[in-house]
Amino acid sequence: MFDIDLSPLRLSLQVAALATAICLVLGVALAWLLARRQFWGRGIVSALVTLPLVLPPTVLGYYLLQALGRRSLVGEFLEDSFGLRLAFAWEGAVIASTIVALPLMVRSAQAAFEAVDPSLENTARTLGRTNLAVFFTVTLPLAWPGVVAGTALAFARAVGEFGATIMFAGNIPGQTRTMPVAIYDAWQSGDAALANTLVAILTVTSLLSLLVIGRLLRVSRW
Amino acid sequence: MKGPVLSGAKGLLLFCALAAVLLAAGCGSDEDASDSSGELLVAAAADLQYAFDEIGALFEKETGAKITFSYGSSGTLAQQIEQGLPADLYSSANIDYVDRLREKGLLIEDTQQVYAIGRLALASSTKAGVTVSELADLLRPEVEKVAIADPEHAPYGRAAEEALKSVGLWDELKPELVYGQNVMAATEYVRSGNAEAGLVALSLVIQETAVTYVTVDESLHQPIEQALAVVKDTKNEELARRFVAFVRGPEGRAVLEKYGFVVPEEG
Repeated sequence: MFDIDLSPLRLSLQVAALATAICLVLGVALAWLLARRQFWGRGIVSALVTLPLVLPPTVLGYYLLQALGRRSLVGEFLEDSFGLRLAFAWEGAVIASTIVALPLMVRSAQAAFEAVDPSLENTARTLGRTNLAVFFTVTLPLAWPGVVAGTALAFARAVGEFGATIMFAGNIPGQTRTMPVAIYDAWQSGDAALANTLVAILTVTSLLSLLVIGRLLRVSRW
Repeated sequence: MKGPVLSGAKGLLLFCALAAVLLAAGCGSDEDASDSSGELLVAAAADLQYAFDEIGALFEKETGAKITFSYGSSGTLAQQIEQGLPADLYSSANIDYVDRLREKGLLIEDTQQVYAIGRLALASSTKAGVTVSELADLLRPEVEKVAIADPEHAPYGRAAEEALKSVGLWDELKPELVYGQNVMAATEYVRSGNAEAGLVALSLVIQETAVTYVTVDESLHQPIEQALAVVKDTKNEELARRFVAFVRGPEGRAVLEKYGFVVPEEG
């Protein structure tokens, strides 16, 4: 009676965790650059990073297929040279999730970095610290709540990615059928038990993430 | 000196720990399933969902192979195979899509088979409390929405369009139509009562209690020929060929007939 296939849950967690890890490293670097450095094209970089937040996921999915699909230059090169196939594979779902989650990470971390008083960083620098040391000893510890909040937001968004994923990674059970795709599939086939379970899990996880974020940001104001 | 160094190390440590935990979770179980022997991925038209799930289970039992189905509209799946979906078999609800892929050299020529004819059903939702028994009933005022699959890329949608045009109702009904992504989605609109009626696959409503249905006269539309073929890029051609034979064999035929497909005689 209650034989529900929970492989989409495992797959979603795996995909979202990896996407969030990439977002964390890439996003913190980008956020710091945008917050602390003036360079030519800064406005464009900022707009490009934010773009996935406002573009429909179908546009992203289309771009991904054109740019990294198996019949694209890059896609063919990766597959022939490294045996790495991104389209219709869980790795492709990771890329789709990373792109949609990155803006949330960057915006959150950037705001946190901008709130750090630059005179504290300067003081550390006059005491002989290298830029990297200043970042890890002063900037990051002070901006920490914002970075963690960004990570949690990015994770929640990555878990919920649907449009670009179904276009670029498809709907292959056990391989690319993440929770949102499984919900769509379960709804179509009238599998209410599966749809209800997955919908409940996603709602609760997302709600918990937001509660954690709210808590973090409140603590940071004290 | 000691204080800041410690907090710096802590910052770095925390950062790395967070990244590492996420990475570990992400890479936890990296199993690439599709390539190993004894596994098949079948890209199958949405109307086959119930029938192929059953045939697949029988096939797994007999061969010990693992078979996975990715269901969608025939057009979507053809598009995906062109873009490199790693499927071993393509099973379309319309032979045109198979022909197109074969002409592009993506299918193994001699494996192509028309193994069944699908039937279009006029379904009405018991939840909506509506019963339609002929196409003209769709004009009744209590029928506000009529679900069909997207005629652009779903064979049952195209058949529905043809049938409605044959009886001269298409133009009048057009504002009432809702398109499902594929025939499964269109069926769900009717089953849930969001559409009072729909033109859908008989195979998806024949075992269904939440809808009533009548079959639509086959002469009103082109035959919905179910065709399948082995994809050229398959790494498991022998097993894929066995599946084709199994679908056409006595067990496959029995299941297909149970779901209302018309199965042509061998030969």
